[in-house]
Amino acid sequence: MSALLTTSVGSFPKPDYLLRARTKASKGELSEEGLRALEEKSTAEWIQFQEQIGIDIPVDGEQYRGDMATYFAENIDGTEISGLVRSYGNRYYKKPIIVDELRRKGPISVDWFRFAQARTRKPVKGMITGPYTMMDWSFDEFYGSRETACLAFAKLLHQEARDLESAGAKIVQVDEPALSTRFDELPLLVKAVGVVTKGLRAKTILHTCYGNYNEIFAYFNKLPVDQIDLEMSNSGLDLLERFRREPLRKEIAFGVVDVHSHVIEPESLIRERIEKALTIFDPDKLYIDPDCGLKTRSVEEAQAKLRNMVAATRAVRESHHLTVGKG
Amino acid sequence: MVGTTVVGSYPRIGDRPAEQSLRRAIARFDKGEIDAAQLRTAEREVVKAVLREQNEAGIDVVTDGQISWYDSQSHLARKLASIEIGGLVRYFDTNTYYRQPIVRGPVAWKEPILGDEWKFAQANSKAPVKAVLTGPLTLASLADDKHYHSKKALALDLATALGEEVSSLVRGGAAQIQLDEPILTRHPEDLAIAIEGLERIRTRKGSARLALFMYFGDVASIYEDLLESPADAIGLDLVQGAATRDAIAKYGSEKPLVLGLIDARNTKKEIPGEVAKEVLELRDRVDLKTTDLSPSNGLEFLPRERAREKLGILSAAARQVGVAA
Repeated sequence: MSALLTTSVGSFPKPDYLLRARTKASKGELSEEGLRALEEKSTAEWIQFQEQIGIDIPVDGEQYRGDMATYFAENIDGTEISGLVRSYGNRYYKKPIIVDELRRKGPISVDWFRFAQARTRKPVKGMITGPYTMMDWSFDEFYGSRETACLAFAKLLHQEARDLESAGAKIVQVDEPALSTRFDELPLLVKAVGVVTKGLRAKTILHTCYGNYNEIFAYFNKLPVDQIDLEMSNSGLDLLERFRREPLRKEIAFGVVDVHSHVIEPESLIRERIEKALTIFDPDKLYIDPDCGLKTRSVEEAQAKLRNMVAATRAVRESHHLTVGKG
Repeated sequence: MVGTTVVGSYPRIGDRPAEQSLRRAIARFDKGEIDAAQLRTAEREVVKAVLREQNEAGIDVVTDGQISWYDSQSHLARKLASIEIGGLVRYFDTNTYYRQPIVRGPVAWKEPILGDEWKFAQANSKAPVKAVLTGPLTLASLADDKHYHSKKALALDLATALGEEVSSLVRGGAAQIQLDEPILTRHPEDLAIAIEGLERIRTRKGSARLALFMYFGDVASIYEDLLESPADAIGLDLVQGAATRDAIAKYGSEKPLVLGLIDARNTKKEIPGEVAKEVLELRDRVDLKTTDLSPSNGLEFLPRERAREKLGILSAAARQVGVAA
């Protein structure tokens, strides 16, 4: 039996050399190949770091992505990329615009999955930006229906999931940060994620964050995936009580460090959080990870948080005489 | 015939390097390279440009684009007594965030909040500038209330505080005030609180015109009650809130309406003639002479260039209503 396997949600911060290179590339001062070489370098470094600290299920760190929706859209026919729109404060991003029927040009993230998997024996997660989030974060000048646009994304993302599986992915994660934006559309989300995950042999995960979980709680067991990944440290641990009353019939990845805080949570605090989770979830169904992608932290902060997370998990495993086994 | 107006926010940067001055200024301010006065100057240059774009498009009643607002909640809340500003929270379904006001004690008005911004905007606009405030119910609903433990009690104290602000704006010369209550599209059951708050603000507005605007959804279920509310005009999002159109067709309105028919959440360009047709379909139900046409909500969710184009579409649609009516 494997117990309390550690993983990450997806993104890691980009090192300074890559940030500088991206700026240069955007001004046309660095070639695509030149940028790619540096993206590969930092991806390899992040894989090596995860190996070194003993993360059980590594991720590629998304060093090649700007925005998670825009990156996928850039590799899908029928889309354009918008001008800048504001997210908050002084942060701006570009959104996909659906201008024609959506068609996958070819594999989107499979090359990066292969690149990362070739550098570790541990199972690397395949990562897909989910159909509901792709739809919700895009402008639509073509379909005129949120449902039609969402299902069009779902169909082509299913192909992406298949290709990840063929490339060797044992785990495919669907990211749906937009999940909780419109409660009346949760049935659409369930349907669309079902289209993506249908017939996959790989273990499937749905990740979401920063939502009003109370409103969506009833849908957790309906989500067509094997595991849900939730931020728990930032939302407070109130949700746990609800899980005690209404058990989850899936695996859970449990976020134990806040990705929006500079504070490095001490090992003791993370241990407490894991211990609390263990009062409700079976250790073989409980995975430990950060709340969300760590890309907004500095490289040093992200590494410190991950180190403490792994150390805390190890300590809990030892105190409960749990073994890691095969992930 | 029909007038034109906007709802409030406008994109503060564009894609051309010259349109990114404010983004650069904020980055330099954050690094300590320029001071608050220099940042204010950069903001005001953008306000002038935003007013120019609205003036050039021929919009009848404009706003300052809320360029200096960090977000729709914390900008007002941070200047009220007993409110601290907390972390980032998702703002409705917009994929944007606001800093959440944390209410620690009894809230109260302390000092003018929007007066200087309004005066500067009016001095730089040919068209009248309306002052836009987030309504007390929406502020109360999106805040983290650690003091009142009652949405109603908090909303009503906020209404008293905002009433003071409205009074100060009106004394400064503002003749048009708009209160935004988008939360009513999500919680129509809270209408009674919104109306009680509005009544408190109405008593402080003097002769100014007070409009109430709801966006990010429909208010069909409370439409008739809104017509009875103490607002001089009602603004409606008829894109995401398309269901409200049926209510207008059914019940009409003797109160002036602002019809938010231009989609401020999507880049797809409307055809002015089609928008005009939708307005004309309501000619027997509302008085087109007192009706305004507007975007469905603030334009800041669009890229700058498309926001500008939408202003043009808005104006063209209003002209076509005029020709046809």
